[in-house]
Amino acid sequence: MIDADMGLIFEIQKMSTEDGPGIRTTVFFKQCPLRCIWCHNPESILKKPQLEWLKHKCIGCKTCIETCQEDALSFLEEGLNIDRNLCTSCGDCANECPSTALHMYGEYWDLDNLFHEIQKDKVYYTTSKGGITLSGGEPTIQSEFILELLKMCKEKGISTALDTCGYAPRKIYERILPYVDLILLDIKEIDSEKHKNFTGVSNDLILENAIWISQYIDTNNKKMWIRTPIIPNYTATEENIKGIGEFIINKLNNIPDRWDLLAFNNLCTVKYQRLDMDWPLKNYKLLRKEEIENLYNLAKDIGVKNVRWSGLIKKEENSNKI
Amino acid sequence: MSEINENLGKQEKSQRFQIAEPHDLSKRSKWLRDYYFKGAEREWNNQYMAFTTGTDWDIIWNEGDYYIVPEVHTYIGNKGKGVFASAFRSMAVSVKLPENFWELSLPERRMAFFEKVMLDYIPQEIISENDLLGGGRFNTQLSKCLNKNEASKFWKMNLEIRRKLFKFNKSGFGNLGATGGHIIPDYETILNKGFKYIHKKAEENYQKLNKKEKEGSKGQELRAMIIAAEIPRKLAKKYAEECRRLKEKTSSHERAEELEQIAHNLERVPWEPSETFWQGVQSIWLTHMLIISEESYPGPGTSFGRIDQHLWHLYKKDVIDEKTITKEFAKDILGSFWFHSNTAYDAMIKVGNQGITSGYGQLITLSGCGPNGEDLTNELTYTILEVIDEWHPILEPKPNIRLHRNSPEKILNRIIDIISRSQGAPFLINFDEKSIAGMVTEGISKQYAWNYACVGCLENTMQGNDRSGTVNCNPNLTKSIELTLWNGKNMPGNFIKPWTKDGEQLGPKSGEPENFKSWDEFWNAWKEQIKFIIKFMVEINNMTEELRGKYMPTPFLSTFVQGCIEKGLDVRNGGPELSFVTVNGVGFATTVDSLLAIKKLVFEDKKYSIEEIKEALINDFEGEKYVVMQTILKNKAPKYGCDNEISDELARKVMKTWGDETWKYKTPTNFQYRPGMLSWNYWAGAAAQFTIATPDGRKRGTYLSNAMCPTDGVDNKGPTAVTNSVGIALGGKTEGGEFINYLPSGSSHTITFNPSILRDPEHKEKFKSYLRGYDENGGTCLQINMLDADMLRNAQKHPENYKNLLVRITGYNAYFTAIGKELQDEIIARESHRM
Repeated sequence: MIDADMGLIFEIQKMSTEDGPGIRTTVFFKQCPLRCIWCHNPESILKKPQLEWLKHKCIGCKTCIETCQEDALSFLEEGLNIDRNLCTSCGDCANECPSTALHMYGEYWDLDNLFHEIQKDKVYYTTSKGGITLSGGEPTIQSEFILELLKMCKEKGISTALDTCGYAPRKIYERILPYVDLILLDIKEIDSEKHKNFTGVSNDLILENAIWISQYIDTNNKKMWIRTPIIPNYTATEENIKGIGEFIINKLNNIPDRWDLLAFNNLCTVKYQRLDMDWPLKNYKLLRKEEIENLYNLAKDIGVKNVRWSGLIKKEENSNKI
Repeated sequence: MSEINENLGKQEKSQRFQIAEPHDLSKRSKWLRDYYFKGAEREWNNQYMAFTTGTDWDIIWNEGDYYIVPEVHTYIGNKGKGVFASAFRSMAVSVKLPENFWELSLPERRMAFFEKVMLDYIPQEIISENDLLGGGRFNTQLSKCLNKNEASKFWKMNLEIRRKLFKFNKSGFGNLGATGGHIIPDYETILNKGFKYIHKKAEENYQKLNKKEKEGSKGQELRAMIIAAEIPRKLAKKYAEECRRLKEKTSSHERAEELEQIAHNLERVPWEPSETFWQGVQSIWLTHMLIISEESYPGPGTSFGRIDQHLWHLYKKDVIDEKTITKEFAKDILGSFWFHSNTAYDAMIKVGNQGITSGYGQLITLSGCGPNGEDLTNELTYTILEVIDEWHPILEPKPNIRLHRNSPEKILNRIIDIISRSQGAPFLINFDEKSIAGMVTEGISKQYAWNYACVGCLENTMQGNDRSGTVNCNPNLTKSIELTLWNGKNMPGNFIKPWTKDGEQLGPKSGEPENFKSWDEFWNAWKEQIKFIIKFMVEINNMTEELRGKYMPTPFLSTFVQGCIEKGLDVRNGGPELSFVTVNGVGFATTVDSLLAIKKLVFEDKKYSIEEIKEALINDFEGEKYVVMQTILKNKAPKYGCDNEISDELARKVMKTWGDETWKYKTPTNFQYRPGMLSWNYWAGAAAQFTIATPDGRKRGTYLSNAMCPTDGVDNKGPTAVTNSVGIALGGKTEGGEFINYLPSGSSHTITFNPSILRDPEHKEKFKSYLRGYDENGGTCLQINMLDADMLRNAQKHPENYKNLLVRITGYNAYFTAIGKELQDEIIARESHRM
């Protein structure tokens, strides 16, 4: 099913202001090769579409139960129960649900329809020097599809960005990057062993790719931003920030145009619940302002250019930065 | 990162949010602002003063001025015996009439009476040592000066109109009636040539008449205009005398000099051309105030036009080139202007707080393009923006800022800076290219159309020669759905005695929809009903216009609206070069979404039959049977506002269809009907109350959609998507990229953002780009609110902490705590765009 004609996408966000310069449409692709403990988008991880139930929208009409051919749905005291073993992700229940309380994460889009959707905001891309961002999950897993999509955008004068975890074969980047104007590359943890513990994979390939990409963008007049999630007890250490900073300076020759530190947030707790997934970080608190600013100052002091931080922090008196 | 995006700001917004406070005001301006807000505790106020000819039949309060405000209908009473009419009669001062008064024609009587009241009965006062402008009290209720015969004819026609109007209103067709204000008179001429020139022009035109014409209505009107054009000079002189009197009394040398200067200004303007900035502002203020006095209508839509252009040469000379006054002093002169504009609200000061229906839209228009698309923003624009920012929150004057393709970064930066510090932008943003396309639609050439400006809330008109009656007609488009479903009849059970009967055939028989085989048949039936609604509306409004034109002329205002002197016709009687009546469609998205639901679920998916839909509406979706159906109607049909081609194309067709109908009609007073979409609070008030449940899943009594906005909560694809939908519904662009705008009067679009969208310089840049994109893809007029539901809920609970919390809806400002709970809930329920 996943090939050059169809992409499996779980969200298209218009007027995104957080995924690159200007006003953007961000297309979120399903499936990811990493298993980050802190993942904010649990709906992005798996290849198959996943069903969620939104309690506040449900009117209790039981249309879904009548619709389901697999008997995967039942009403329990605490609400609708989805038997994940029986559910085949066919989506019939979500289609029939009168209130949109049942929702499928993951929808197949063909290239023309997706491009049509994207070009609706072309005016704003032009006025803001924005464009589209392919994100996920990990978009490079659907490389044939995104290659065609990126080509189409470039042909029609829409600027493109790729948000990637860096864990893909070099060959894929070699094919895709000619059609990408900005690469948003995650470097989450500099220590390979820790990286493996936190995300399930070692960072060797990611760092190798980072070096190659930085050289590529340098010679091809493109841009590159490094992004680092700042997760308490995991990546939020001085050691890690120092390590990544030095890597950027020494191995990437300080080529990246910007380094974003993205503060941990716990807002995705509810998404884990709705997908019947457990989240080890569900009780984690937000960072305090000093914590993130401390790391931010450290990053700046290393000499990396254009360091920024954003995200939620703990509520404090007289603090109003988001 | 999607989850972060949607929730940015969620946890911190309540602490981020700050209610705007006035700041950096000079001592003088601060005193005036504080004094204004003392309200009823002030020793001075500008409450209504009523004046009568003393006859038994005298009419003082004109109910027709308030037909468009259904809340007032209850107080109308019979033949001038209602609350307002009686109150004004009993408090009215009898004016000593000139001897030949009753021999004069009606327009001349009106002017003789007006002059007498303004000069001899209303005191001329300077409000404290901080006031820099002459022109204090202006809220009047003036006798309409009718003789017995006229009064009797007036009542005969008025009662007939009233009956028809009530039927129209109470069966859910909307509201209408010829209304005062809503005009930008010719301030360029007042400033640059003065009333002296106008007086001369009126004289000359009168002399050109032949004997028969002199005796006829033209002669009467012109003679009245000749009297009228001298009133500003005479009144200014009396104010000058008052200044000199105060000068004798003051111990402050500085104030004595100021009073001398004010006196000097008043001896010159508005009769002569203004030579200084101070005189310019004085000239505009005194003239403006006299319009309100003459119409006995405190300020609604009596607008100033492009004030930063009118006054620019004077400001440049005094503040920039010759430096005769400082910028700070210029701001204080404007401060006095701000103060006086707000005293319009004193009209009913003893009765209480003014809520959402207090429609005193005294608009100023700022910035905008010139004839070749070049930008006309100047230093005065920025000075006025400082005044707006520093005085905010305050209700008047209401600013509209014109943006266009060549707007400089500087003005956008300034706008965004102000928005980021206020909960609702203290101005509307008007978009030139789309607006100008609308002016071209009504037949104005591009050569002139660039110089349009806004009146009332946001209505686009030309300046100095245009009366477009921009709030006179407000049909409820949603009524067409009911009439189509019931073959031109009211829904069974939906009637109000004695105005309508159960099952009354109101509209044409467009066919029993149960028998329709296709969507096209339904669509054609709908078109018949919408045509009927416009025709029905025109029939009654024509009568209100004719009655007003005949019995309530305003010769003073007519002197400086181009075309009136030339034609010898009153501004209310087809005098202006450009004469329109604007029809504001109400409940647009509710109508479109209802049609979409029927198209999709009845004719395409065949999920429901017409019978089932009708039954559900009759039952108002009450009962278990209808829960699922209502939910499906709400969620499973396409909606306008989501940048979806199918729904937006139908929206466009609906817009074009009803708009085209308006162009088919003219009033007997020669005003051409034209479409627009401002809906004030009609969508929330009577229209909602009288509108049965609708096929989009809305229950009876729930608010209709507001102006150009999508139905609440359905526009879930973000601000760019809804912007695109709005632009397309107005006609979009031609293949060659030319703007199309079906609604020359403009259209109101409100978007509420979460404050986090402007949290840092990077995001402010993005927001600026969004506004530039809006100019290309969106509508004519945007209200930006930065609200947050938690804060509003808190304001409901603790109104005392939120006295300054200003909310703007469709260009209407209101203090949140002063509006009813229902409307408060409605505002809270609005979809807030989180980005």
